[in-house]
Amino acid sequence: MLGQLKQHIERIKGKGATYLDARWYPFEEANFLTMWNGNLKNTSASRESGLGIRVLYKGAWGFSASSDLSDVAGLFDKAFDNARVAAERVTFPVRLAEKDAIQAKFESPCRINPFEVSLSEKVAFLKEMDEKLDQPGVFQRVSDLSFMRKQIVFVDSEGSEIEKLITEVFPTLQVLGRDSEGGAHERKYRPGRIGETRGWESIDRQLFSQHAERIVKELNQVLVADTCPKEDRSVIILPGLMYLQTHETIGHALELDRILGYELAFAGGSFVTLDDFGKLRYGSPKLTARADATLLNSPGSFGYDDDGVPAQNNVLIDKGILVGAITGRQMVEEANAKARRQVFDGSGGANRATAFYRVPIERMTNINIDPGEDGSLDDIIKTTEKGMIVDGDHSWSIGSNREQFHFGAEIGWLVDDGQVTKVVKNPTHKGDTVKFWNSLSAVGDKSTWEVKFVDNCGKGQPNQIMQLGHGIPVCRFDNVRIGE
Amino acid sequence: MKERILQTLRELRTYALGKGVEVVLFYHEEDSYLMRFANSAISLNTNEHLIRLEIVAYSDRKRASYEMITDLSKLDEMKQGVDIAAEMVQHAQPLMYQPTIPQFTETFSDESGYDATLAQISNEERLGYFNQAVKGLETSDIKLSGIFSNGANTLAQITTRSEHTQYFKTSDAQVTVVLAHGTLKWEVIAEQSAQKKSELDPSALHRDLAFLLDHYQHDTPQQIPLGKYDIVFGPAATADVLHFMNWIGFGGGMMKRGYSFLTEEQIGKKVFSDKFDLTDDPTRLETFPARQDFTGIPRKPFPIFQKGVFQGFTWFQDDADEFGAKPTGHTVMHKSLVLACGDQEVNTLEELVAMPRDKDILYIPFLHYTNIVNPSKGVITGSSRFGALLLKKGGSVVVPYNVRLTQSLLDIFGDKIAWLSKSATPYNISASYGARNPSAIIVPTFVRVNDLEISHSNASY
Ligand SMILES: [Zn+2]
Repeated sequence: MLGQLKQHIERIKGKGATYLDARWYPFEEANFLTMWNGNLKNTSASRESGLGIRVLYKGAWGFSASSDLSDVAGLFDKAFDNARVAAERVTFPVRLAEKDAIQAKFESPCRINPFEVSLSEKVAFLKEMDEKLDQPGVFQRVSDLSFMRKQIVFVDSEGSEIEKLITEVFPTLQVLGRDSEGGAHERKYRPGRIGETRGWESIDRQLFSQHAERIVKELNQVLVADTCPKEDRSVIILPGLMYLQTHETIGHALELDRILGYELAFAGGSFVTLDDFGKLRYGSPKLTARADATLLNSPGSFGYDDDGVPAQNNVLIDKGILVGAITGRQMVEEANAKARRQVFDGSGGANRATAFYRVPIERMTNINIDPGEDGSLDDIIKTTEKGMIVDGDHSWSIGSNREQFHFGAEIGWLVDDGQVTKVVKNPTHKGDTVKFWNSLSAVGDKSTWEVKFVDNCGKGQPNQIMQLGHGIPVCRFDNVRIGE
Repeated sequence: MKERILQTLRELRTYALGKGVEVVLFYHEEDSYLMRFANSAISLNTNEHLIRLEIVAYSDRKRASYEMITDLSKLDEMKQGVDIAAEMVQHAQPLMYQPTIPQFTETFSDESGYDATLAQISNEERLGYFNQAVKGLETSDIKLSGIFSNGANTLAQITTRSEHTQYFKTSDAQVTVVLAHGTLKWEVIAEQSAQKKSELDPSALHRDLAFLLDHYQHDTPQQIPLGKYDIVFGPAATADVLHFMNWIGFGGGMMKRGYSFLTEEQIGKKVFSDKFDLTDDPTRLETFPARQDFTGIPRKPFPIFQKGVFQGFTWFQDDADEFGAKPTGHTVMHKSLVLACGDQEVNTLEELVAMPRDKDILYIPFLHYTNIVNPSKGVITGSSRFGALLLKKGGSVVVPYNVRLTQSLLDIFGDKIAWLSKSATPYNISASYGARNPSAIIVPTFVRVNDLEISHSNASY
């Protein structure tokens, strides 16, 4: 296959294409299991394979993909033809930032391939969790396991040849209860990435059992709790929601394609402008955020992106000042040209596609916040006069330029004069992005820092779902409107 | 092609029967084309031809499914898929209820929603459409974004219970044209959904875009005060809200699991305004309907709300099995929701703006990133986007910065509904992830709701 791909790459280059790449997926498999109130509702698996071809011609992209590999030549021709038509409407001819030609292999760390674990063993795990969750106060209980494994062979017209084997495991436990007025409340557990590998071995029964007990207990507290007050308070966000706060109001806002207007028809833009890099005070000096695709154990670490650029660890916000973005080869060239200065030194290695039949676009890697110097969660609580601790992603809605947001959490704990006073239900907080991050008044130390995964980040048209991670500490923000 | 697909399914059925496995086979073929624009250029021009086969195996109360992206020439691979599903189901755990295996009593075929000329529209025609829709409107500051997505969808089914097959073929197109200001960060939008080629009309988009651009380019935007407004929703906003109601409202399974704001006691009771009539109407081709559901139940217009009175829940077969309900023909990839029109004579945005008014009216064409805050109370939240206008009492028009609305569906469609327009718009809500599934909701072009609270108002774009 590789030889055939290289041959067609040369052939289409001969027709005037300036760049080509092929992503061949010999296989991609997935396995989903859902146990709902004791019923194994979903036992499904899938397998696919195919080829995606990207062609750059006269500054325009063409793409074509198929699962049918009987006519590889035709697929290249179709991609070239798509580029030829796209070249009729070019305003800024695509240029690609320099990169080295790389021959490499990457394998995500995995000790036990989840696809070699028997279905019976997986079902036994779900059954055990389901029984743990089957407690008074729990109206609905859901235990979920999903697994993915894919092999990607990348070859391009610049001499790169990269092979990747990526395995992912995504487990979730969830309980739902109803309060005396019929209001529904949920509590979830998604484990942080503990340990160094991400295979079946990362499913730690004992840990899950402990957390199953915890979420049931917390759900029962919410069911009898008062409603979150509508007022201004400090908000202390635990990793179970902090990951999403970071994802939505730093991660998406700093995707360079969004900043340059490539997502305006759908996902939205960004309030950030090219002028802001090196200048904008995005957050308080306590905020240092980075895009770190080199974290050992996270779905945001993938070795090489789908431009063939090696994974990197880049600072995005340095002590509150915006300095970087989430970038791929195409966008950095366009941004530097439009800014009329060198804002970015080459690709940040963050261009990824969700499947062989999608094109790579800028995606978050691991968008992390560095641990701070404000101690443990207890230390942060002690220094909080009037606050609310929140955890669990219940709902999220963000302005189209990521300039404002509204989040609902699963559980809130009010804090008054340095003490946790009571649990509240339906906690929400909202704010304006830059004002909010500038109100960051405490960042927890390493003891509060966890790597959370996101298995369903959506972006692009046609839509692409991506897996990534967030390493985040507990953070406190002041003067935040809650309860709306 | 149709015969080859059905013959393949029949062969797989024979294979499964030979192995003693009970299966439902579901074939999905898409031919998808998408031209995407950004910064006034074609940023992506792509096509995918994908064939998916889902094999659901049953063994008494056990069920397991295996899905593959495959090709009709790979019969052996598909047979292996049957083997895998058969193996999986042995290790599944029995459900606590008996799942129903569909048994088609007759062969059914529906290609009435297929227009070859739309499915096979050329690259040049897609580009031509865009060029017409934005003719003369782009400048060095105002840039074009958007998509032209079109394709064909073929679904086919067989089960081991009978030799009969079901076959559906549809064509669809979804067009979104956005004009955005490169530095000021606002955008205006015009959209179109089509089931056949003759429904494509770039001039209608051009008219709306030109009108909105005129305001956005020449008026000074304002941060509007928080508080209550009389709001007119455009088709995208109304369809979005109904889409969420479909999710947390009248689905029987969701209700039983506690994710709905409706209860069984509310059947036959008034829930919304008596102006609110919502029907699942598979006779409307603009909604890309399934005339028969995937268990073989013929689909007829199914009233969900009549004069605001809740008529009953819709049931998916598996939920009906689990909760002992009667399936309602809603085991489909999407419903065909139609919100009935009212009597307000207003067809276009220009007419809306020209209407005499005794109060300020906030026009919200589109809700961005809507999400469910509280499912049991029906509370959703989302922000305005793409060309909101504040129509002042005196007749003038102000461009507002975007606002956030956090409201219960019970309020939005309750007695606060002032009017619904006489004209309707099919609004395309197709998602482009996973298997192609064109879907649209037919809504009154404009819906006015009085006294809704704006909870957040931006100080800039
Ligand atoms: Zn996301």
